[in-house]
Amino acid sequence: MNTLVKLRYRFWPDKIFGELLQKPWMETAVPLLVLLLVIAFFSARIDNFISITNLNDTLRQACELGFVVLGMSIVLIVGGIDLSVGSIYALCNLLALYCVNVLGLGMISAVAITLVAGAALGAVNGILVGYLRMRAFLTTMVTLIVYKAAHDMLNAEVGVAISSNFPDAPAWDYLGFGTFLSLPVVLWVFAVVAVAGHVFLTRLRAGWHVMAIGGNRRSAYNTGLPVKRVVALSYVASGVFTATAAIFFASRLASPGADTGKGLEIVVLTAAILGGIRLGGGKGSVMKAVLGTLIILLLTNGMLRMAMSAGMSRVILATILLLAALLDIRWFKNRHKAVQELYVSPGYMELPPPQSTAPESGSPFALNDKLRHVDTIGLGEIESPEDVALDADDNLYCGNRHGDIVRFFAPDYTRQEVYAHIGGQPLGIVMTKQGTLFVCVGGMGLYKVNPDRSVEKVTDETNRSLLSIIDDSRLRLADDLDIAPDGRIFFSEATVRYEMHEWPTDSLEARGNGRIICYDPRNGKTHTCLRNLIFPNGIVMASDGQSILFAESWACRISRYWFDGPKAGTVEPVIENLPGYPDNLNRASDGNYWLAIMGVRNPIFDLAMRKPGFRRRMSKKLPGDEWLAPNLNTGCIAKISESGEVLDVMWDLGGENHPMITSMREHKGQLFIGGIHNNRIGRLKLDDADPEFVDLKEAGNA
Amino acid sequence: MKKLLKLGMTAMLGALIGTAQLAHAQKSMDDPLRDDYYANFEGRKVVFVPVFMGLDLTEGWSKIMASQAEELGYDYEVRNSNFNTAAGAQTLTSLISEKPDVIVVQNPDVQSYAKLLRQAEKAGIRVIQLNMKTNYQTTGFVGADVELIGEKQAEAAVAKCSNEANPGKVLVLAGPPTSPFSAYMLKGYENVLNASPGMNLVSVQSTGDYESSKAKSITQVVLQQHPDLCAILGVWDNTDVGTAAALQESGKADQVLVTTSGGGGELACKGLHEGMWQYYVSYDVPGQGRDLNALIMAALQDKNPVGSTKTVLYTPLVTYTPETLGDERCWSLDTLR
Amino acid sequence: MEQNTEKDGGHGGAGPMAMLSGVLGKGGFDQLRIVTLLFLAIFILYSVVLPGFFSVGNLLTLMRTVSVLGILGLGMAIVVIGRGIDLSMIATLAVPSALVLTLAAKGFGVVPAVGIGLMLAISIGVLNGILVAYAEIPSLFTTLAVGIGVAGIGQIGLFDYEIVSWPPALDGIAWIGRGSFYGVPYSVLAFGVAAIVIGIFLRRTRYGMFVYASGDNPGATRLTGIPLRPVLVMQYVISSCVAFFAGMVLAASSASMDTRIFNLTWIYDVILVVVLGGIGLSGGRGGVANVIIGTLLIGTIMNGLTIMNVSFEMQNLVRGLVLLVAVLADSIINPRNEETAQQGDI
Repeated sequence: MNTLVKLRYRFWPDKIFGELLQKPWMETAVPLLVLLLVIAFFSARIDNFISITNLNDTLRQACELGFVVLGMSIVLIVGGIDLSVGSIYALCNLLALYCVNVLGLGMISAVAITLVAGAALGAVNGILVGYLRMRAFLTTMVTLIVYKAAHDMLNAEVGVAISSNFPDAPAWDYLGFGTFLSLPVVLWVFAVVAVAGHVFLTRLRAGWHVMAIGGNRRSAYNTGLPVKRVVALSYVASGVFTATAAIFFASRLASPGADTGKGLEIVVLTAAILGGIRLGGGKGSVMKAVLGTLIILLLTNGMLRMAMSAGMSRVILATILLLAALLDIRWFKNRHKAVQELYVSPGYMELPPPQSTAPESGSPFALNDKLRHVDTIGLGEIESPEDVALDADDNLYCGNRHGDIVRFFAPDYTRQEVYAHIGGQPLGIVMTKQGTLFVCVGGMGLYKVNPDRSVEKVTDETNRSLLSIIDDSRLRLADDLDIAPDGRIFFSEATVRYEMHEWPTDSLEARGNGRIICYDPRNGKTHTCLRNLIFPNGIVMASDGQSILFAESWACRISRYWFDGPKAGTVEPVIENLPGYPDNLNRASDGNYWLAIMGVRNPIFDLAMRKPGFRRRMSKKLPGDEWLAPNLNTGCIAKISESGEVLDVMWDLGGENHPMITSMREHKGQLFIGGIHNNRIGRLKLDDADPEFVDLKEAGNA
Repeated sequence: MKKLLKLGMTAMLGALIGTAQLAHAQKSMDDPLRDDYYANFEGRKVVFVPVFMGLDLTEGWSKIMASQAEELGYDYEVRNSNFNTAAGAQTLTSLISEKPDVIVVQNPDVQSYAKLLRQAEKAGIRVIQLNMKTNYQTTGFVGADVELIGEKQAEAAVAKCSNEANPGKVLVLAGPPTSPFSAYMLKGYENVLNASPGMNLVSVQSTGDYESSKAKSITQVVLQQHPDLCAILGVWDNTDVGTAAALQESGKADQVLVTTSGGGGELACKGLHEGMWQYYVSYDVPGQGRDLNALIMAALQDKNPVGSTKTVLYTPLVTYTPETLGDERCWSLDTLR
Repeated sequence: MEQNTEKDGGHGGAGPMAMLSGVLGKGGFDQLRIVTLLFLAIFILYSVVLPGFFSVGNLLTLMRTVSVLGILGLGMAIVVIGRGIDLSMIATLAVPSALVLTLAAKGFGVVPAVGIGLMLAISIGVLNGILVAYAEIPSLFTTLAVGIGVAGIGQIGLFDYEIVSWPPALDGIAWIGRGSFYGVPYSVLAFGVAAIVIGIFLRRTRYGMFVYASGDNPGATRLTGIPLRPVLVMQYVISSCVAFFAGMVLAASSASMDTRIFNLTWIYDVILVVVLGGIGLSGGRGGVANVIIGTLLIGTIMNGLTIMNVSFEMQNLVRGLVLLVAVLADSIINPRNEETAQQGDI
């Protein structure tokens, strides 16, 4: 039974669902589903619904519509609406045909003139809505009427002249009927524009401005974005896109029809909303626009081809629109809830029984009171010093939760200053002989503070693993580091699936979400050396200079990893049955290692680790603050040897002077103690330590 | 000739023998054209692309076409553009790749479908245009001579107004400004009115997309300005229901002559009965349907390349006035064959 | 809520003139006042320049041409005040009333026929309301789709032709759109009655206040214990009923119901009338007065242009430009502030 559970939780890809759901592109899942259903339905009903010729016809129409939808989408994303597209379309169609059929202009000049006209018509909207701050709905509705009237008047003048000329313009006809690599020209143009639009919206600064203004116009204005200009330009873009569509339409049909573009705004709006673009701004993508366009076009095309009665097709269209919108809105509203429920995917973990901590058990971890009389430094003046370090001049450095590195001045450590401001919570820190401070910053990556106090990023990304669904190239929770003799920096990243404040959730998973990463200053490259570690935390260089010892907190074990030498690449266990959750590891003056234990295991949590189903139900049914979490209250400091012997353990039964422990650093016969939940730093005089010992690294070339 | 003679001789001989042998039963014979004729229609397909179904005109045409299709055994299908030119163009585009044998199309205006109809004929589909034509001539056209309708209406107005003492003020309620149907009709009005010195064209207004409510409000406004209006030239019976309502409300139904036109359906007779209009030019949907069916049959039998024959059939117009009225003259869907 | 519109609404039913004086008596220029001034300017200009414009007969005709539009505007106003929009109104105007005509022609009797039509209209409203309030689909999209669906249901088989003529069986109620009462056309009276009823509803009843509250701040409305969702449903039911009423008036007036009007751009005119008068699409503002002024402005422009025998397209162009001037004047005189603008207010 237990083996079955083990196998199920080892191999069944629980976490894939949650991770897939969490991807931004999953927002388009509903439109995609609707599109596939539409295609499946009509393919079953109509012969050749998807045939090459028909596909080419459909694609030509789809791309024409798609251009207009793209334009409308940009306006919608910015938080406006452009109802005048139908009339702009009609006017541009007329203009293009007038240029080609009546004036006999070449393709290039006709296209250029039409695009400029589209931009100008859009610019009218843009100036009115963007700069004069008129209401988009009303304004574009009025320009719809005005443009339409202008079109009707012009059409009466030039319509007959246009339709009685059939010019011989091969380049122009190529736009309408030509193919390139057996696909319609318009499709190629549309593909280029769509890809460019995608890059623009997701990768370029200007595109981010568009998204930001749509997302929160007031904030965008207050951060100094050119709100008016961007809004105005979005209408110009809409005009240009509409003109592009009109050019292809004109070259295909050559029809200066009276009701060209009539009702187009409704079709386009429907497509955009079906694709999942929200009215009111801030939400939308090129993909959504494309999907919405395809749905609406295949739907109407399919129903026309089925010769369905007009009433019936209207009813069906309305039903599908409503169902799709309903689904999409439910999906939009509930996706993050589903993510919350599905994202946490507990695994199976069986911990070996812990070494006893009973006072009389004879176990090395037997409770004692050695830490009770720790001195305090900076009591009430510092928050969350996860790790501590000292420089050659005995000054004390630590991080705080405001994102600073704080320096306490030797010798009495009563004065302090903000040494440097980093911005994220500093976790593990290491001081080099040269005075450079290397810092692991939660949520930011690996940073260094130069002796001149300038802060510099060392690395914040590593190679993305091929099979991972979530993007694990960015560093989310760099935790502790050490520096090899050749200057390479090895640091742990506790989890790739959660942010720093979500560490209790990661503990609930008990999965190998963490990794050890190496930064090589010689070529500036970062790569991941060990994966699937269960919350890797402390790291310390072993005596051979070819391996590191590292602690995995939720697995309650210490292991050793060889990165060089004959055993390169191998991992061996050092201690596997710690009574608590190990945190930082540091060198001791006698060649052994200090180990901080931040909390003590308890049987309930250990049992829960063997019951992933239970934890899964808990994470789904209960609010987060009622979940089980590892106990981070009482800890101890242990001295261990490289082979795993526990040499000494220091407990504090009272927990008054120094309530919890995440790190410790030996310096000139004293042990400085950090604790992430503390408001102080502890100091303990070590009796038998080397009074000259300092824990400083070679910085290499970094 | 020789053959005919021979045939005649044989027939005469046969008749003689037949009359001689009175007891012998009459002999049956195969019509040699018959099999070929029916085989022609096997598996053929005709598609009707109207601007809009649900009007007496389109429903009437469609019913007549459908019943012939049923009799002769070819497929008949309606693809309704539902007042949407873009949808119509989409339908035609996919029809070009579907390749039915004949497309019957009612154009929304002169230009919209012109290029597509050319493509369709190039692709080997015979296109018959119905009532509203483009400036590209295809295999067939069936429809009214709209200019003539206009002339007839205008003549009726002249006949009434020049007789009387009033100044002969005329209001024109036209269709959509871009519609050729309406434009040709206006041409007809002008032909006659310009030649009649006593007539005064006080206003030419568009009823938008043949909206009766718009016809009503325009009539009301114009009546305010010209209480002595003499005649109204309306574009279509369904629209002029509104015109008549305006006149009835203002109590001037007897003073103003309303002329209109349409397919000659029930509404035509009802309007004449109730005094909504006094002169009605019908383009006779049953007659048009018959012409249409004839062209379809011809197109399905035609073995020549598409576009080598082009036929135009203008429908003979029928005018109704209260004096010539008889209910049997107006058709309804139930009375159509 | 704005103080000025608060008070104007009370005058809403008391006839346009009383309302005008109320509007002009206060300082400041909001959109309502700008549109009122524009209306007066055009009115005076026409009266001076156009012979025959300023006559009782023509003014009544003017009112009569826009009365159906005005009635629709009143229904739309309720939904817009509640921060929604009802694009299905034209379908709701056309289909139930065409159904009534059809049923009456088949001998159903006046009351059952009208009853069935009203039931259809109410169910359209309920459908809209549920989809907007409970399924939380944006109103623009919901009513667009429902409008298409309703038009489709009409086409599938509620009536034989798209244009249904007024049957003699209904002549008993034909007065709602036809004829006149002491010289005032009934359709104008119908507009007046609708304005008074809706004015009283909006300003004098609790549910009217709920409509304002739900448009002004839906979240706060909900927190204060007002049944937000039922109130939303109610708004759409009212607008559907108003559209049905407008449909009956229109059908009686033009002696037929042409259901093809669904294909036209009428709905834009209705929105224009409402928004032009100063009822913001962001909800919670405006009242009956705004609709009346918007309607009068449009009616006056069109009436004058028709008298001048201006062509159809030119009328549209001129109308569009005048409207643009009205909206532009508002946005120049009362520029919207980036700090106070509402998010998602289009």
